[in-house]
Amino acid sequence: MATVTVRNVWKEYGPTVVLENVRLEIADHEFVTIIGASGCGKTTFLKMLLGMEQPSRGQILIDGVPIRPEPDPDRGVVFQRYSSFPHLTVLENVMLGLELRSSKITGKLFGTARREARAAAMAMLESVGLAHVADRHPAQLSGGMQQRMSIAQAVIRKPKILLLDEPFGALDPGVTADMHELILRLWEENRMTIFMVSHDIQESFQLGTRLLTFDKLRVDPQSPEAYGASVTYDMPLTRKTKPKTLPS
Amino acid sequence: MRRLINQHPGRAAGLALGVLPFIALLVMYVIASHLRLAENPDDKLLPALGKIASTFHSYAFEEDRRSGQLLFWVDTWASLKRIGSALVISATLGMVLAVGIGVVPRARALLSPLLGTIAMIPPLAILPVLFIVLGLEETAKIALIVLGIAPCIARDLALRVGELPKEQIIKAQTLGASTWQLILRVVLPQLWPRLIDSLRLSMGSAWLFLIAAEAIASTEGLGYRIFLVRRYLAMDVILPYVVWITLLAVLTDLALRLIRARAFRWAEPER
Amino acid sequence: MARNFSLRAFLFAVFVGAALLITQAARAAEKTSFNVAWSIYVGWMPWDYAGQSGILKKWADKYGITIKLTQMDYIESINQYTAGKFDGCVMTNMDMLTIPSAGGVDSTALIVGDYSNGNDGVVLKGAGKKMADIKGQSVNLVELSVSHYLLARGLESAGLAERDIKVVNTSDADIVSAFATPGVTAVVTWKPQLAEVSAMPKTTLVFDSSKTPGEILDLMVINSQVLKDNPKLGKALVGAWYETLGVMLAKDAKAAAALEIMAKASGTDLAGFKGQLATTFLYTTPAAAVAASKSPDLVKKMDLVRKFSFDHGLLGEGAKTVDAVGIEFPGGVTLGNKANLKLRFDPAYMQMAADGKL
Repeated sequence: MATVTVRNVWKEYGPTVVLENVRLEIADHEFVTIIGASGCGKTTFLKMLLGMEQPSRGQILIDGVPIRPEPDPDRGVVFQRYSSFPHLTVLENVMLGLELRSSKITGKLFGTARREARAAAMAMLESVGLAHVADRHPAQLSGGMQQRMSIAQAVIRKPKILLLDEPFGALDPGVTADMHELILRLWEENRMTIFMVSHDIQESFQLGTRLLTFDKLRVDPQSPEAYGASVTYDMPLTRKTKPKTLPS
Repeated sequence: MRRLINQHPGRAAGLALGVLPFIALLVMYVIASHLRLAENPDDKLLPALGKIASTFHSYAFEEDRRSGQLLFWVDTWASLKRIGSALVISATLGMVLAVGIGVVPRARALLSPLLGTIAMIPPLAILPVLFIVLGLEETAKIALIVLGIAPCIARDLALRVGELPKEQIIKAQTLGASTWQLILRVVLPQLWPRLIDSLRLSMGSAWLFLIAAEAIASTEGLGYRIFLVRRYLAMDVILPYVVWITLLAVLTDLALRLIRARAFRWAEPER
Repeated sequence: MARNFSLRAFLFAVFVGAALLITQAARAAEKTSFNVAWSIYVGWMPWDYAGQSGILKKWADKYGITIKLTQMDYIESINQYTAGKFDGCVMTNMDMLTIPSAGGVDSTALIVGDYSNGNDGVVLKGAGKKMADIKGQSVNLVELSVSHYLLARGLESAGLAERDIKVVNTSDADIVSAFATPGVTAVVTWKPQLAEVSAMPKTTLVFDSSKTPGEILDLMVINSQVLKDNPKLGKALVGAWYETLGVMLAKDAKAAAALEIMAKASGTDLAGFKGQLATTFLYTTPAAAVAASKSPDLVKKMDLVRKFSFDHGLLGEGAKTVDAVGIEFPGGVTLGNKANLKLRFDPAYMQMAADGKL
């Protein structure tokens, strides 16, 4: 179960108000897509879910429990770039989550535990179609493959929530269709609640079960920072299991 | 005719150009030496190549009359031991400080101003104090080198830690990493190649400080020997020693570069 | 091809030009301007005073020449003199033998200024020690300098040899701080460091140069060829030297002022400087200096010095015997290879001063 409650959340930096009174109830297994103009708090919102930032006022709860004020395994993340570890192979990248969980002192596994973790990681790689590059390093992969690895890396820990920060923004259009298929499949298989920030409106409609739009409710031209953004549209979308094919 | 910037020498020509300055210097030396020796056969400033060779031979392969040792090798070993110890200590100290300052905000607040200040102390100026506090033996000499290069290594590596993308750190935390695990599995492994880079850059300074320390109070060592015979303008001893030190520095640099390439393939830039 | 030819010609010109630049050998010819180097030490401070007070200029003008005094680090000055950058330089007799003379630069001791009469000494930690107590210790000093020589003489006096101790080369600037560390128990050095070290509690001065009179001489050394071609230089320098000594040693206010100036220039106060002078045996009159130069004692002392130098390999790699470098004394007396006389004691100019003929 991974229900998310956002209770009267404000975010201010000094005199600047970024987010104003955000209130949300997200059910388990939702795929929440988030859109909005630049500077309207989408990324800030995601960072607060992640634990990177703390709300100035209000609370965020998962399953009724306030989230910890720092990133933790309950909330997985895939960034647009740089979330892979260049010194590890693709397989080791994906194994890392399992190793960190089980081996507190050395951060590495040995013997049977290691073999089991390897097997689980290989299975994960197969499911995202990267088994053939298991021994390469991320720098040798294409952008799309790196993102697939990053997703696999996060999902193998079975987080309650998966946060995606414009994950497909840097990829070629031809690759994104595959990525959509992948993320939807993993979403189904692992029953996570996903929050995805995107600039692509079409993508947001295609993938999401619920669309959130962040925008500023009021703007004072004299002092633009006085009012923050909030959720201006909150739209449930038809629950999907497969993406709609793109119109040719 | 292409522009100069677009004229590339071929492989053989490139090699020849690279060797040319050395040959030119050698020829200039031989001419100058010959002229001086013609006026004064005992001249010590520019000894003949033959004399340099025979002096070097006596230092390296003939036992010294008074101590029965092969001075050249005794000196080399003594200096290498000192600089080797200093490099290991500096690398360790540098890594520990860098990881502390780079990863743990409290440690950064505590140590960063201190480290920055220590890095500014001119080591040669503080040498007499070192000798008073640590004595005139090996400790003070190694300490001088460490004082000279460890702060730079630490600051360089700390900067490198800061350059690690924040996304990596956050990702690791979402995968369950504690601070310790983060250091062990994310930060340290990425610091090793940078440590090698930092050591390579510090080698010149390390040799400088080694020679300075040996000049003050010593009984053997490459720097010791150079300063001892400096009184007598014995360039036939000094020149081979300087060439040897340069060679050692070049070889060490090469070795470090090879280690970096072999052990940390992932860190090499794409060709 | 025209391009290749000009390249080759250019390279050749660069070689030759650079080679010529490097070799600035002392051209033996008459000239009117001279360079003399000095360094800070009690025995040579009069040169600084001579330069500052105008005495040197007066004498140089008298002979129609200019003399430029340059102060430097001691060893650096001797090396520069050996390399031909200076016409003259102050130095000790041992350093004269082992650096310029052994380096083939024919040099003449124009002025025998003084000998160290307690300015150099061996100090051990602990009260009531004797020279013999040095056995088995590590001794910090400037290796192969006059301190080393003094140590050798001191060891001899106690029936010991150099293998009974261990020599640790220590830069003279650091001798005092070295002695302050617990690991250092024996040092050999000269004043003012010697004074500071002796002043430390629980130390004993077990040997000093007053026990080796006439062996550590402070000289004004001139390139023999330059001197031969330019006797005016010799006359001017000697004249200036003895006039300065005269001023210094008079018992009047001017002398006190002169001593004050010299003390300050050498980095100490009047009391400290007088303390150094007390252990320096100045040859106050030219006659005394001439007598010292002509004395057979000088030959004996130089023999000791050259033996020490040879034993420590200081006469050069090619020196097969102690005779390798020849030393000339007044009256045709020589030590060592007559065909290779590189160190000369020539009291001719001091004699002129004694006769009032300057």
